[in-house]
Amino acid sequence: MSEQDTSLPAIARAAAIPPLLALIALTLVIWALTGAGSLWPMWPAWAFLVIIAVRGVRIWGRRSDQPGARVPAAYAAVGVIALTALWGMSGGGYFWPVWPMLGIVIALSVASMIGRSGTAELEVRVDELTRTRAGAVDVQASELRRIERDLHDGAQARLVALSMQLGRAEDRLAGKGADDADLKLVREARLEATAAIAELRDLARGISPPVLADRGLEAAVQSLADRTGSQVTVNAEIDQRPPPAVENAAYFVVAEALTNAAKHSPGASVRVTIWRDHEELGIVVADDGLGGADPTGSGLTGLRQRVEALDGWLEVRSPAGEGTTVRAILPCG
Amino acid sequence: MTEAESTPAAIRAVIVEDHALLREGLVALLTENGIEVVATAEDGPGLLRIVAGHKPDLAICDVRLPPTFSDEGIKAALEARRRLPSLALLVLSQYVEPAYSGELLASGESGVGYLLKERVSEVRTFIDAVRRVAAGGTALDREVVGSLMRERQGTLPGNAIETLTARERETIELIAQGRTNAAIARELVVTLGAVEKHISNIFQKLDLPATDDDHRRVLAVLAYLRATGG
Repeated sequence: MSEQDTSLPAIARAAAIPPLLALIALTLVIWALTGAGSLWPMWPAWAFLVIIAVRGVRIWGRRSDQPGARVPAAYAAVGVIALTALWGMSGGGYFWPVWPMLGIVIALSVASMIGRSGTAELEVRVDELTRTRAGAVDVQASELRRIERDLHDGAQARLVALSMQLGRAEDRLAGKGADDADLKLVREARLEATAAIAELRDLARGISPPVLADRGLEAAVQSLADRTGSQVTVNAEIDQRPPPAVENAAYFVVAEALTNAAKHSPGASVRVTIWRDHEELGIVVADDGLGGADPTGSGLTGLRQRVEALDGWLEVRSPAGEGTTVRAILPCG
Repeated sequence: MTEAESTPAAIRAVIVEDHALLREGLVALLTENGIEVVATAEDGPGLLRIVAGHKPDLAICDVRLPPTFSDEGIKAALEARRRLPSLALLVLSQYVEPAYSGELLASGESGVGYLLKERVSEVRTFIDAVRRVAAGGTALDREVVGSLMRERQGTLPGNAIETLTARERETIELIAQGRTNAAIARELVVTLGAVEKHISNIFQKLDLPATDDDHRRVLAVLAYLRATGG
C-alpha cells in the first residue's frame, strides 16, 4: 500500500476502525450480560461511529487530491447522517435536526462561494497579467523604435554634419595646396566619422529596421529577402498591420530563418509565407536545403523566447536532407 | 534640363532637410561648388511649396522628415516630381532601402539619385553626383547597387553575374552608380582602354547591347537588373 492509497480498507485501517468496532462489540456484550434492558450501547456506538466517519473523511481528504470543496461536503454528510441517527435513536417526533442541517447547508454554500470567488479573482489576475505583459512588450517595441529613430536623427545626423565639415575642410585644404600630412590628418578624421556612421547604422538596423516601422512587415521582409544571397520568394497577406511587438518578432523570425538558410544551405531557394487572419499572424519560412538544423541552437532558442513572450509558438522541422521549415504563430490580440 | 546640361554652374537646387546643421552645411557645400541653392525647407509640404514657387532643376531631400520621421521625404519627392516632371531628385538617406530606389527609378525620366547621407563628406564625388543627377543622369549609392546585385545573383540565367571577374564586378557597380568611363578609370586606377574592355566583356557576358551613351547605359543596366528580378 502506498501512502497515496485511498482504497476503503486502507482508510479503515488508518482511521483505527477495528479497535473502535471492538469497543462497540464490548459494550454490546456488557449490555447482554447485564440483562439486555434498554439498548443503551447505541449511544456509545453512535459516538464511536461519528468519530470513525470524521477520521475517515480527514484521512481521505489528506491522501487523495480531491478538490477542496469535496472534503467539507463529506463532513457535512457525516453531520447530517449523525444528526438523523440521533433523532431516530431518541424516538423521532419533531424533526429538530432540520435546523442544524439548514446551518450546515448555509455554511457549505458560503464556503463554496468564497472558493469560487477565489478562482474568479485568479482569473482576473491572469487576465490582468496577460494584458500588462502584452502592454509591456508593446511599450518595449515602441521604445526600441524610438531609440532607433533617435540614433538616426540625433547622433547619426550630428556625425553626418561633422563628416561633411571635415570633407569641406579637406576640399579647401586641397584647393590651397596644403601639404600631404595635413590633408591626410583631415581625411583620416573624416573616414573615422564615416565609419562611426556606418556602425551606428548597423546598430540601429539591428534594434529595429527603419523600413519595418515605415512600411510594415511585408516591405521589411521583402527588403530582407533582397539582402539575402539565397533565392527568396515572399508571399504575404497582411490586411491589417499587427502591433509593433508582433511585427518586430515576425521580422526577426524571418531574418533568423533566412540567415540560417543562407549559412547552412547556400544556394537553396527559400519560400516565405506570411498571413494575418483576425486574431493571429502566421509565418512559414521553408527552404529546400540540407536540413539538419539544430532547433536548440542559440539563434532559434532566442527566437522561441521572443515568440513565447508574445504567447505565440515556434516550431522548427529540419529532417536531414529534406530542408528546414520554421513555423510561427503570433497572436495579434 | 538641356540648359543645365550645357552650363552645369547654372544648376538651381532646393534642399529639404530638417536638421539645421546639415541643411546649412549642404547649402555651404553646394554654393562653394557653384550650385545655386534657391530655397530650403524642413518638411514635405515645404518641399512642394518651394518647388512650386521656384521651379528648380533639382531637389535634394532627406528621406526622414517631420512630423513622423519615416519615409515622407520619398513621398514628398515623388509628389513634387508628379507636379514638376522635369525636376531631378537626389534623395539622401541614413540607410539604404532597395525598395525606395526602385520607387525613385520608376518615377520618371529625369535624373534620379539615392545616396547615403555620409557620401556628402566625399566632396568631389558628391558634387559630381549632384551635377550628374541635375543633368538627367543617375547616381545610386554603391550600397544600393551592391544590394541589387546580390538580389539578382540567384536569379540570373546561368548565374551570369558569377562569371564576372572581380574587376568586372567593380566596374559594373560603378556603371550602375552612373559613373563615366573616365571616372571609373580614375576610381579603379586603370587606363580608359582597360575600362572599355571590362565594359564590353560585361555586356557580352550579360548579353546586353552596348551603346556609347552613359545615361542609356546606366538605364540599360538597371532595367536589366530590375527585369530579371521578377
